[in-house]
Amino acid sequence: MAENKKVLVIGGGFSGLTAAVEAAEAGFETVIVEKTPFLGGRVTQLNKYFPKLCPPNCGLEINFKRIKNNADITFYTLAEVEKISGREGSYDVTIKISPRFVNDKCTGCNACNEACPVEMPNEFNFGMDKTKAAYITHNQAFPFKYVVDAKHCKGASCAKCVEACKYDAIHLDMKPETVTLNVGAVVLAAGWDLYDVTKLDILGGGQIKNVVTNMQMERLASPNGPTGGKILRPSDGKEVKNIAFVQCAGSRDENHLPYCSYICCMASLKQATYLREQYADSKARIFYIDIRTPGRYEQFYWKVKEDTNITLTKGKVAKLTEDPATGDVILVAEDVQAGKKITERFDMVVLAAGMVPSTKALKIPGEISYTDDGFVVPGTLKKGIYAVGSMKSPVDVSKSVQDATGTAIKTIQSARR
Amino acid sequence: MAEQVIKPDLNFINEVINGGGESMKKCFQCATCTVVCNVTPDDNPFPRKEMVWAQWGLKEKFIGNPDVWLCHQCNDCTAYCPRGAKPGEVLGAIRKQSIKQYSAPAALVNFVNSKAYIPIMFLLLAGLLSMAGTFKIHDGDIVFTKFASTQFLQIVFTPVLLFGIAVGVLGVKKFWADMKAATGVTSGDLKGSITETAKEILSHKKFTMCDVNADRFIAHFLVFYSFIALGIATALGVLYIDILHMESPFRLGYGTPVKLFGFIGAAGLFTGALLMINNRFKHSAKLGLGSYFDWLLITIVTVIMASGILAWITRLAGVAPVAYSIYFIHLVFVLSLFLYLPFSKLGHLFYRSAAICFMKYSGREKK
Amino acid sequence: MEKKFGVYFCKGCGIGESVSFEKLKPRVSGKGKVPVDCIKEHPVLCSPEGLEFIKNDIKEGTNTIIIGACSPRVKYAEFDFPGTLTERVNLREFVAWTAEPMSADAQSLADDYMVMGILKAQKGGMPEPNILPDLSKTILVIGGGMSGLTSAIETANAGYQVVLVEKEAELGGWGAKLYKETPRQYPFDKLEEPGIFARIKEVESHPNIKVFKSSVLEKTDGQPGLLDITIKTNGNSESMRVGAVIMAAGWKPYDASKLEYLGYGKPNVITNVQMEEMAKKGQIIRPSDGKEAKKVAFIQCAGSRDANHLPYCSSFCCATSLKQAKYVREKNGEALAMVFYKDIRTPGQTELFYKSMQNDPGIMLTKAEVTGISDAGNGNLFVEADNTLLGEKIKVEADLVVLATGIVPATRAPQEYLDGLTEAQKKGDVAKNSYLEATPKPDFILNLTYRQGPELPSLEGASGFADSNFICFQYETRRTGIYAAGCVRQPMTMADAADDAAGAAMKAIQCVEHVAKGIAVHPRAWDTTFPDPMMIKCTSCKRCTEECPFGAIDEDEKGTPFYRLNRCRRCGTCMGACPERIVSFKDFSVDIVGSMIKSIEVDEDEFRIIVLACENDAYPALDSAAIKRIKINPKVRIIPVRCLGSTNLVWVTDAFSKGIDGLVLLGCKYGENYQCHFVKGSELANYRFSKVKETLDKLQLESDRCQLLQISISEYDNLPKLINDFVERVEEIGPNPFKEF
Repeated sequence: MAENKKVLVIGGGFSGLTAAVEAAEAGFETVIVEKTPFLGGRVTQLNKYFPKLCPPNCGLEINFKRIKNNADITFYTLAEVEKISGREGSYDVTIKISPRFVNDKCTGCNACNEACPVEMPNEFNFGMDKTKAAYITHNQAFPFKYVVDAKHCKGASCAKCVEACKYDAIHLDMKPETVTLNVGAVVLAAGWDLYDVTKLDILGGGQIKNVVTNMQMERLASPNGPTGGKILRPSDGKEVKNIAFVQCAGSRDENHLPYCSYICCMASLKQATYLREQYADSKARIFYIDIRTPGRYEQFYWKVKEDTNITLTKGKVAKLTEDPATGDVILVAEDVQAGKKITERFDMVVLAAGMVPSTKALKIPGEISYTDDGFVVPGTLKKGIYAVGSMKSPVDVSKSVQDATGTAIKTIQSARR
Repeated sequence: MAEQVIKPDLNFINEVINGGGESMKKCFQCATCTVVCNVTPDDNPFPRKEMVWAQWGLKEKFIGNPDVWLCHQCNDCTAYCPRGAKPGEVLGAIRKQSIKQYSAPAALVNFVNSKAYIPIMFLLLAGLLSMAGTFKIHDGDIVFTKFASTQFLQIVFTPVLLFGIAVGVLGVKKFWADMKAATGVTSGDLKGSITETAKEILSHKKFTMCDVNADRFIAHFLVFYSFIALGIATALGVLYIDILHMESPFRLGYGTPVKLFGFIGAAGLFTGALLMINNRFKHSAKLGLGSYFDWLLITIVTVIMASGILAWITRLAGVAPVAYSIYFIHLVFVLSLFLYLPFSKLGHLFYRSAAICFMKYSGREKK
Repeated sequence: MEKKFGVYFCKGCGIGESVSFEKLKPRVSGKGKVPVDCIKEHPVLCSPEGLEFIKNDIKEGTNTIIIGACSPRVKYAEFDFPGTLTERVNLREFVAWTAEPMSADAQSLADDYMVMGILKAQKGGMPEPNILPDLSKTILVIGGGMSGLTSAIETANAGYQVVLVEKEAELGGWGAKLYKETPRQYPFDKLEEPGIFARIKEVESHPNIKVFKSSVLEKTDGQPGLLDITIKTNGNSESMRVGAVIMAAGWKPYDASKLEYLGYGKPNVITNVQMEEMAKKGQIIRPSDGKEAKKVAFIQCAGSRDANHLPYCSSFCCATSLKQAKYVREKNGEALAMVFYKDIRTPGQTELFYKSMQNDPGIMLTKAEVTGISDAGNGNLFVEADNTLLGEKIKVEADLVVLATGIVPATRAPQEYLDGLTEAQKKGDVAKNSYLEATPKPDFILNLTYRQGPELPSLEGASGFADSNFICFQYETRRTGIYAAGCVRQPMTMADAADDAAGAAMKAIQCVEHVAKGIAVHPRAWDTTFPDPMMIKCTSCKRCTEECPFGAIDEDEKGTPFYRLNRCRRCGTCMGACPERIVSFKDFSVDIVGSMIKSIEVDEDEFRIIVLACENDAYPALDSAAIKRIKINPKVRIIPVRCLGSTNLVWVTDAFSKGIDGLVLLGCKYGENYQCHFVKGSELANYRFSKVKETLDKLQLESDRCQLLQISISEYDNLPKLINDFVERVEEIGPNPFKEF
């Protein structure tokens, strides 16, 4: 048998990691190309997974350990695929690697961060706090290697970080690099972005301070988030005692996302438990069209419903306004089952915003066809190219893992040719 | 609450679908429409519930249902509907069914609101007018009374208008009784409600609540008051000729009240109609172009105005054949407006007024 | 291998400013019994120069390396020296970043950690994989439905031999009984022809796949790579060896006879399965009189999402009923299809299918709680429902009612039978025998000859589904090499089952490949060590056979435990369970950890606390706290273990007899949503701990000196406080009375 070809995985989120690790553990060399400076993707921003309420970093730790212990897996961060050409069994791939300005000598000691004078909005926390231009996203980040943000760094004129680093790890003159690879199969695992809530005009259009997205809520509840895990509202740092969740904020709406984003019902139920766990006297109300907790997730739904301080109301919220005096959010919905249009006041409102495949905005090069919504159409992919997880349809972590594991076997079929 | 027996009616569904509600099956009952609607009361709000009733073909739910008439077709609901179910248009289609329910003979509703029959309907009216025998090109100065004498017009138009009004009034009576039966409301302040209703209609308050299609306010306002102006002009004519037995005021100079009302009305109606057409096109991407039902009324109004103005211009220009022909068309359309009053979309004049009044009467008015 | 030591002390990242190498050197040399000159320092060990420094020694013959630097979780590539035994000592995170610099506490911490590292390297050996002979890489697939067929095709296409066993006379399962399928491709708006027949054809003609129809698995014996199976076909048995198993045994519809309240039993009330059959035959008719059905009601969640029936959503029924509603309409344009739902569940892009199906004049839906089905005369029925969108209490006439019944996994009946048997066994032989007599035995799927039972243990509280407990690792099962796929794992649609089947196939392949190399499978998928029990000293107490979470240990005829190595996941639970302390791994044993504990310097005036930390979650959490520079009481010594399940009680004795004042077991959360990657390590440790506490109390040694803390990896912010609070409590109790001995 000829030598096995490599498998290229585009995206180092949970889907991509899984596909890469699973293929590698069957004896195939895999290469991960990740756009951001760190692996792990979206799940690194989550506080807990539904329905077990366990931390995502637990599974990530295991997968990172699998990567550390497997010489067959390599990865590039800050890397993007520029070109894919060829056919199944032999794809030529060009990868552009942007400079990290930090090399492998970095020990993770944090001296650069302390020295850096530049503050920038912390994207990892969706702008809810600030970080330095020399930074690491969080203390369980992988690789545990700092990065200097190209956009915000003042460059050689400042170079305070360079001075502070005792290990010769920071070089502000690093240049982009290009790597070419020949691989047998390509996995598209570029993940997803949250729907831009500024487009939801009747829901405040992103202008109401105490209306946050579900992903911001994850960060607010995370121990490594902007509030150290305390759920405080953005306008005044007040403890949130009365919260509403607006389901289908963008999803199932042909003016925005015509599909169901799959995760939001479970996510809101889960987030209601975050609040309830923190404040005994808190109340949560979830406004929905249909509660979608498929399979055994139903049991989680039942358990959450048992809490009498969590109520569920059928009826989509279609109006949010701000009470400027208090910062409270005024919500209008129809309680469909009661047949009443209701107006209520909340400390904070969470928009259960939907999932947009990252390929909606940024197409992967190659002959790949997409739906109007940016999803990859699996049936139209060339042989040897496979899409996983949220590239094809909105999915949760479990389904991403299933899909990525299943995709791994297809990649080794292609790489074996 | 007693158990209701639900009887889905596929025919009703198809009628609504074919009557401009073709999108109604897309609704998945999220209730966005009810929330964005600024006109609905909070209690038992519309149009979400009407959508599911229509989807199930629950014809009887619409008997005595004031809510479809409380809808002013702002189409905020349609703009924000996540499914493209266009509740505003669907309610329009249901209103057509409601007109059919209350405006007897129902057959006339079918004839008026059918693309196939409408040419015949207009031909019939043209034939009716032709019976005067004076419809020919007269030599000399163009004088429209030569063409159709005031007496003739009175003989034909007055009964037709009275018929239209009578049908409408009878329909409202039935509708009122049905609303009472449907809601269980038996008493209220009728006089006060009527006064309040008149105030509301005259002020066009509800139209000012529209968000997405705010232009509708101006358009409807213009059309509404222009009709009043034209009505006043006509009434003055009747006053001069029939009551005071004076010379027809229409022959007097331009500065007289009759002419003034006539001109204001004509200009307003013309502008209003054009605005309505413009609005339809402006929002067509999201709201659709509207149904036949909508366009029939718009067309009649537009033709009346266009023909009226053209007849006037051609008369001044002295082009007799053209002037008389256009005037004839004008007469046919005015007559159709009168006759179709309770059968076309114009029927809303009766039913919406009644529904608004009933809402006040039953005390359901949003505080 | 004769060990030549090299002990390296890194002074970077603040270690040099926290600890004195000069003080450390003699102490470590003395206690660690290594020559002083092999203990070296370097300003930055991970730098190219530092690594060169170590590599030069390796060239000189150094083969046992102890690196006192940062956590082993970082710089793993740099400090990877093939052919050597390398031990990392975490001086940075556990000393420099958490203790007061240059304090006596910090110095003593560093001394202890270095000595422990040396001891571990001294006692440990180079791992060598144990590869068993006569291994098979053939994959057995149980079930010939969508999942089984897909698993077989994917595995065979990856170059492996496949044996497929199907219970029925024909392949295809439920998928072959469908009239049409819900769409799988964008724009998801049309019904599709069933896709299963192409797969059946592919399986039947694939050179790598051998199909056994009308067959069941009579026996499965052995271990991954060496699974000897017997397939029974029409009374004939055939034996063969396979390497791993994909269990895709499928599902049964929920027993509709339990749904009498929904009218089942009345002639014109049918299930969605019957509806499918009828549509396939051609016409949708009323069973009572053969007349065409014109008003068809679909009752969603018939049995599903119902505490009295199935406590889960069956996932496929909403889309199926929408599809069947379309059948009704396609067959007769005058007919009505009325759907009564709790919630319409068409997740993801299936929403587009919902929208498309709904947009039909004759398909109507309402949210409803269906309370009953009553007769309306002429065979017609009234659907009675509360809280609908059409009114609070309604009644709708239908001439045919379809119950959207759900999924019951094929694993459920055997599981229930075996659970019942276990219960009966607990009550004694009489109860057991009467149970066996009275209870009809359901069809078993695997018929394993394993000591821990004949079937794959389903996840507790999962209604019989053989699901993984892990969100991140969907194919975890408690029987190594046996992977569940499709609806035995979770309720799912056919499209999802196909994806799932490919995943299970991947895991099966990995398993046979790892077994062939003598490496563990997930989660220690790099580990070449294995449990090596010294059987002469075994007393056949059977604790290991009972406690092994993966049923890796059988017993021979005499009742002596017998390790089936390829089933083992290397968690060390057997090592923790063994009262004779005979189980060891090359780099992890009772002796190694015991020696480390005993090496800790105990001073009469100083408190010493040991934390045995699970290396999967607790250790990274401690690291993370250190990265945040959250201080931990320097009286604490942290010793990583593979899993708390590997905690042997003798360590408690070792610690207290040595004069240690307190002991913390730091592991993951247990209970319903356990996070242990080895099923119930911390729970087992807690159980064992509770036993030892009684003993401690008897010895007048306050049992409060021992505590098990459950934490998750993300609770690092609170973790130091938990530990510090424990230290304070121990200080309140006072020093260990055994200290003076």
